[in-house]
Amino acid sequence: MRAYELIRETYFRRSYIWIAHLSWLAVYGVFWWSFVPTKTETTGKFILVGSGLFLALTLSAGILGDDIASGRICVLVTKPFWTGKLYLFRWIGLSLQAAVHLLLTGILLGVLDLLTPKNSIEGLGVWLLASWLLFNAVAALSTSLSVVIGRAFNSLLLLVVFVAGYLLMNALMVLLRGEAGAGWLMAFVRYAWPPFELLRKFAGGEYGPHALTVGRFSLSHNVACVVHSLILTCVYGVVGVLLLCRRQFSRVRD
Amino acid sequence: MQMRKKTNIWIVVTAAAVIVEVWALYVLGASAARWRPAMIVAEEPAARALYEAMLDAARDAETLSYRSFCSGPDSGPSAYSVQLKKPNLVHVEMTNGLSTKVTMVLADGDRVRISWSGDRPFLKVDDFERNEPTQSNVYVDMSGSPADVAGQMARLGVAWSDLVWSPSVFFSGADEFEPYIDGIRLRGTNEASGEECDVIEVSYFKAQRMRHYWLSRKDHLPRRVKEIVRLAGQNHVIAEEWFRVEIDERISDERFAWSPPEGFRAWEPPELEDFLLKPGSDAPEFDLPSISGGAIRLSDLRGKVVWLCLWQVGSPKCREQMRCLQSLHEKTKDTPLAILAVNVTDDRRIAQTFLRDEAISLPCVLDSSEEAAKLFAQGYGMKSSDGPVNFIIGRDGKIVDAWYGQDPHRAPAALQAAGVQDVDR
Repeated sequence: MRAYELIRETYFRRSYIWIAHLSWLAVYGVFWWSFVPTKTETTGKFILVGSGLFLALTLSAGILGDDIASGRICVLVTKPFWTGKLYLFRWIGLSLQAAVHLLLTGILLGVLDLLTPKNSIEGLGVWLLASWLLFNAVAALSTSLSVVIGRAFNSLLLLVVFVAGYLLMNALMVLLRGEAGAGWLMAFVRYAWPPFELLRKFAGGEYGPHALTVGRFSLSHNVACVVHSLILTCVYGVVGVLLLCRRQFSRVRD
Repeated sequence: MQMRKKTNIWIVVTAAAVIVEVWALYVLGASAARWRPAMIVAEEPAARALYEAMLDAARDAETLSYRSFCSGPDSGPSAYSVQLKKPNLVHVEMTNGLSTKVTMVLADGDRVRISWSGDRPFLKVDDFERNEPTQSNVYVDMSGSPADVAGQMARLGVAWSDLVWSPSVFFSGADEFEPYIDGIRLRGTNEASGEECDVIEVSYFKAQRMRHYWLSRKDHLPRRVKEIVRLAGQNHVIAEEWFRVEIDERISDERFAWSPPEGFRAWEPPELEDFLLKPGSDAPEFDLPSISGGAIRLSDLRGKVVWLCLWQVGSPKCREQMRCLQSLHEKTKDTPLAILAVNVTDDRRIAQTFLRDEAISLPCVLDSSEEAAKLFAQGYGMKSSDGPVNFIIGRDGKIVDAWYGQDPHRAPAALQAAGVQDVDR
C-alpha cells in the first residue's frame, strides 16, 4: 500500500508536474505541425532530448531533496520499511510517468500524422523506447543526486553538468584529437554518462542493415545498447540507495 | 540462514549484471573495426550481376551529371556537383560544409585545373610558410588524367570528404579495386534519394575495405555509396548520397572549357616527396615491435644498407611492392642489404592475414600506435600513407634517397649509390 502511495505521490508531488507533461505534449504537437519534419529521425531526436533529458530533469527536481530538507523523510521511512524502497518506488513513479507521457506522445503524433499525412512516424516506437530508456537513466542519476543535494538543485546541477560536459568534451576532442587521453575521455562520456549517444544511434537505426555510419548490421549492437542503458540505470540507482541508506541512518542518529 | 540466502541471491544477480555489462561494452566498444575473417563476403551471382550492371551503365553513358553529398562520422560534409562527358571531360564544383567558397575542378585530356572562388584553403601538401604567399588569387594547372580527378583532389586534400564513387568508373567502366574483390552479396532493397534501390555489399582486400552500393532500379547507377575502410583501432566510414542524376543529357563542351580567372596566377603545389627526409640527413632511430615478436631497432642494422618501406594492405601498389621486396629479400639474404617493411596503418589481423596469404617473411614492423605514426609523419616527413614510401638508408645511418610509389629505376640507382651492387628489381 505504501508502495502505491509513493508511486502515486510522484504524480501529485507538485502542480507543475502536470503542466510540464501537457507543455511538452503541446511542444511536440507544435514542432510536428510547424516544422514539418519529413523524417522520423527529426521528431525522434526531438523527443529523445525533450522527454529523455529535459522532462526527466523537470520531473525529478527535488524528488528526494525536498523530503530530506523538510524532514518529512523521517515520517516516510519508518521501520520495518527499508530505506532503499523509498528510492525505488519514487523512481518507479517517475518511470511510469514517462511511460504514460511517451504513450500519449505516440498517440498524439499518430493522430497528427493521420490529419497531415507526412508518413514520417515509421520507426517512432523505437524512438519512444529509446526516450524511455534515457529518461530512466537520467531520472535515476538525478534521484541519486537529490539524496546529497538539497531542494531542486539536483536537476539544475545535472543540466549544467550535461551542457558544460558536452561542450568541454567537444572542445577537448578538437584540442586532443589523436591523443591517447581523448579516447579515454570519449569512453567515459560514452559509457559512464547517461547513454544519449548510444540510444540515439540505436533509435536512428545506425546499427541497422542500411546504416551509413557503422560497418554492418548487428542485432547484438542493438541489444547491447538496451542492456547497457538498463544496467547503467541500475548502477545509478544502487549508488543512490547506498547514499540514501547512509544519510537516513545519520539523520536518525542526529 | 535467511540472510545468507539473500546475500547469495544478491551476489548472483550482481555477478550476472557484471557479466552482461562486460559483454555489452565488448560489443559496443568493438564497433565494426574489429575485423574477423567472417566479414569476408561470399560471392552471390545475382549481386555480381547488379555490380556489373552498374559498371555497364557507367560505361554506356555518354554524359553523366549528378549532385552528391559526402560525409562521414569523422569528416565534415562536402557537396559536389559533378558533370562528366566522354571521352575525357570533367567538371566538378565542390563546397565544404556551409562555406560558400567553391572549388572548381576541370579536366580535359591530360590536364587537371583547380581554382577557388576566393582564397584557397590550407591543403594537405601545405605548411604555414608555403601557404601564406600562395593563398590568394591562385589556380592549379597540373598534369593528370580525368579518370584520376578524385585521386588528385584527395592527394591535395581539397575536400573535407572525398568522392567515394570515382569518375574513373565512368571513363573506364571499371572499378580500380575490382581485382581485389573477395565477393559481392545482396543486402536487400532500400530507398535512397526517393528511389527504390537494390543494395549490394562489395568486400575488397579480405574485408579491409567494404562498399555498399544503393543501385537505382531505374538506371543501375548508385544513389548512395557507403565505404568502410578498416584501419587500426578505427573505421574510416564515408557515405556519398547522389541526387539529380541525369544520364546522356546534353552538356555543352563549353562547360568544360578552361580559362584562368582574371588576375589569378598559376601555383604549383609541392610534391609529397618534397616533405620526405632529404638525402644526407640522419634517419631517425626507432625501436618498434616486429610482427614475428620482439622489437626491431634501426640502430641494430647499422653497417648494412637498409631499404625501409612503409606499406598498407589497402593499396594495390603497396601489395605489389611487398611481393617484389619479398622476392628481393630471398635473393639478398646474405648480402649487406636489409629490407624492412613498416606498417603503421593497418589492423594487426588484417596485415597478418595479407602477409600469411602472400607468404611474405621479410622483417616487418607492425605498430599502429600514435607514437609510431607520429615518428614517420614528423621524423621521416610522410605527409601521406598512400602508396609505398621508400627510404634507402646508408651504412652510416644517413638517408641516400626517399620516394613514393614504385620506381623501377630509382631503387637500383639508390642502392648502387649506397654501395649495394647488382640489385635488379
